[in-house]
Amino acid sequence: MSDHEPMAGDSVLPERQSELSQEYRERLLLAQRTDAEINAAVLQPMMETGPKFWITVAILVAIILWGLYAWGYMIYWGMGTAGINNPVYWGLFIATFIFWVGISHAGTMISAVLRIFKADWRRPITRGAEAMTAFALLMAGLYPFIHLGRVWKFYWMLPYPNNRFMWPNFQSPLMWDMVAIFTYLIGSSLYLYLALIPDLAMARDHSVGWRYKLYRTFALGWRGTEGEWHKLHRALNIFSVIIIPVFLSVHSIVAWDFAVTIQPRWHSSILAPYFIMGAVYSGLAALATILVIVRKSMRLQEFLRREHFDALGKLVMVAGLGWIYFWFAGFIVEWYGNDPVIRELIHDEITGKLAPLFWLQMTANVLPVIFLTFHKIRTNLKWLLGLTLLINVGMYTERVLIVVGNLQRNYLPFDWGTYKPTWVEISIVAMTFAGFILLYTLFSRIVPYVPVWEIKEGRLRYSLRRIGRLLVPTAAEID
Amino acid sequence: MAKAVRASAEQKLEENNRRWGMVIDLDRCTGCQACVVACHAENNVPVVGEHEATRGHSMHWIRIERYWEGEYPNVKARFMPVLCQHCGEAPCEPVCPVFATYHTPEGLNAQVYNRCIGTRFCGAACPYKVRAFNWFRPDFPEPLDQQLNPDVSVRQRGIIEKCSFCVQRIRRVELDAAASGREVEDGEVQPACVQSCPPSALIFGDLNDPESEASQFSRSRRAFRLLDFLGTDPAVVYLKGGETNV
Amino acid sequence: MEDTMNLMGLFHDGNETAQVIDSLYELGMVDRQIIVMTGVPYPERSLGRHVEWLRLPNIVLAGALVGFILGLFLAVITPHLYRLDIGGHPTVGFPPAAVITFVFTMMAAIVSTFVGVLWEMNFPEFSPKYYDNRVTDGYLAVLVEHDPSEESLVRKIFEAHGCDFIQRPERRPL
Repeated sequence: MSDHEPMAGDSVLPERQSELSQEYRERLLLAQRTDAEINAAVLQPMMETGPKFWITVAILVAIILWGLYAWGYMIYWGMGTAGINNPVYWGLFIATFIFWVGISHAGTMISAVLRIFKADWRRPITRGAEAMTAFALLMAGLYPFIHLGRVWKFYWMLPYPNNRFMWPNFQSPLMWDMVAIFTYLIGSSLYLYLALIPDLAMARDHSVGWRYKLYRTFALGWRGTEGEWHKLHRALNIFSVIIIPVFLSVHSIVAWDFAVTIQPRWHSSILAPYFIMGAVYSGLAALATILVIVRKSMRLQEFLRREHFDALGKLVMVAGLGWIYFWFAGFIVEWYGNDPVIRELIHDEITGKLAPLFWLQMTANVLPVIFLTFHKIRTNLKWLLGLTLLINVGMYTERVLIVVGNLQRNYLPFDWGTYKPTWVEISIVAMTFAGFILLYTLFSRIVPYVPVWEIKEGRLRYSLRRIGRLLVPTAAEID
Repeated sequence: MAKAVRASAEQKLEENNRRWGMVIDLDRCTGCQACVVACHAENNVPVVGEHEATRGHSMHWIRIERYWEGEYPNVKARFMPVLCQHCGEAPCEPVCPVFATYHTPEGLNAQVYNRCIGTRFCGAACPYKVRAFNWFRPDFPEPLDQQLNPDVSVRQRGIIEKCSFCVQRIRRVELDAAASGREVEDGEVQPACVQSCPPSALIFGDLNDPESEASQFSRSRRAFRLLDFLGTDPAVVYLKGGETNV
Repeated sequence: MEDTMNLMGLFHDGNETAQVIDSLYELGMVDRQIIVMTGVPYPERSLGRHVEWLRLPNIVLAGALVGFILGLFLAVITPHLYRLDIGGHPTVGFPPAAVITFVFTMMAAIVSTFVGVLWEMNFPEFSPKYYDNRVTDGYLAVLVEHDPSEESLVRKIFEAHGCDFIQRPERRPL
């Protein structure tokens, strides 16, 4: 039984269904479903947790506990238990920090940028993407603490009047980091929560027990009156616009941690846009990975359809092309300039000890771009999963090469060094990966993963219209 | 009494417009490492041991860099002591988020140990890589713990440290001079490395005083500064090129 | 306030709902007597309702201004309060000051957007309200506050436009 017939234009009458081409019949926003059916499709996977879920949670908690032990060990005995040394003062921790900040960029890309462009394919994935942003930033925010030599004095970086007669040094890029990441974290969390309120109300209306109490508290008394919708829309529009400069500035600031030093190959004005492009690339790839996995594990085949993966795959490919361009633009000027230390660094990276990592990086980042040009591959979920995982392996390697590789060679050859991570670093890095996955898994069971109100809103806009002999989907220009 | 002494010492600081600097004569340096040992002794710098040294955790505030020149049988070893250059435009200073390193009015790049929270940004930013980090708790096995210098703090793990031009010796000389009512004489301040160098390859003094020994040597035709194309304006001047045994 | 009564009708079609509201206006109802609750946001003017003026943009601008001033203070004033010379750089440089000011402005704008929208919606509000769970299942609920004498007229309007359920609502905790 179809409800919500579109406002204007030809509507889909039941007897015309057979004229729908296969492609359009599969479109989410044209699907013949009642709102009640959509609600049930979203709520059911949330409520059911099988043994696989609990085993996963147990393993993740174990990894996190081990990582916490490693962190405590490192705090007690000193940073020397990690592999960082003189001259490689920064290692895996900072590389993983950049990686997590990078992952966080996809959420804003999807929910804010695509909302402004009114791209309807974003509708089922905005919440998953924003959750990825928030949790990735939480994990990223751990690293400024993890890599501190005296982490118990971290509060000296906070600006507050004190009797030491000292404010923090706002000329330091680390201070910009602190403020920017905090801002982005607050921004994306609030954005995530605000867009969640109508769906929390829906969940509240359909649940009992502890879930009812939880949703009732966080739905804040939402009823869906027009005033409420109007204000929510306005706030979401304002958020979308504000969060875009924030996300651009956050990764630029992280890049400036390196670019403001005079270390060869770091001191480059292209580092900031290069990092942003890399972040969008790796974040979108991670989002595709997560969506493929979640679709399977939470049985969300109803909502995450071929059209979404097709569009996401295209976006990943475009981001990949952008990354390749920025990498080459940075590389060509360094190679051409022939500065002795940079020449040595490039040699080390391409044919020296770091060569395996470098070629892994290039293959893992460039090959998927070629494959993703094909529609068949973009919509084949196994291929998409494999390619996007490969992209993130490549991007992580790229971060490690930037941080570690460029500290290994310096102006005075006597100061050259090497770096090898120890169990402490690997445990702590694994802890943040496990932490991210755990937060995400719990989130997907506690909160409706798919923003159903946005999908219902999209179905209001979409109709099929006849142009000559063609029956085409049309989006109404409302909102 | 102490208050009056300190006030006049600070007064003299502001009046003097000093820039402390060092001249290192590479034609005299024999690579004996006496300066390294003296610095460890004077500044309570821990010795990390062989294993940690291979991991890159050594903490020398001054190190002797050895470069080999030429092919056998005309091989020559060149020794270059490298220490904190106390750059006039130090790249390590703006990047510290808590102001643990800053520039004093008399030209020293100061490191405040109890302010450092160990981000190691300064270490990564320094092109000379002269900053040492306390990777572990400092270990002074007996009887080394008996010879710690009471004028210098012992740093905890997680703190960056580096050559301070033996600022404790500078202050002591200034206070003594102020107490006696005289000026600090050239050559009176001797950091541990300068004091212990057998061939007197290290000279310390006020680069802004045109008559000091250091200042005169810094104007020699043999003078150069390390990595000066980077624009860091180091206060350490090296001399080389005048030896006869080429 | 015992002289008014409330009637809630549940509809499944947006077109019909708009016509119901038009009829209610013809009856002489004013805006504040009619509340429409939906599980899906209908475009503002599609149901023929008045679009209220929001204070939210002003709140955001005010918040951004506060953030701007705070950022400016931290970046430009605090280095002068306790002066420490950093080699090669002036006490306050334009690029670091610009970054800090920008980020604090954005942070304040974000927080004031969130707080502002909650404040304008009067959230959180857990007191018992008129509501029906079926709203989130796709029904449009029209809640009318009317004089007892008008009850039959309102009922007629509801039934004439395909109302699925009519009920006298009770305040219930959400």
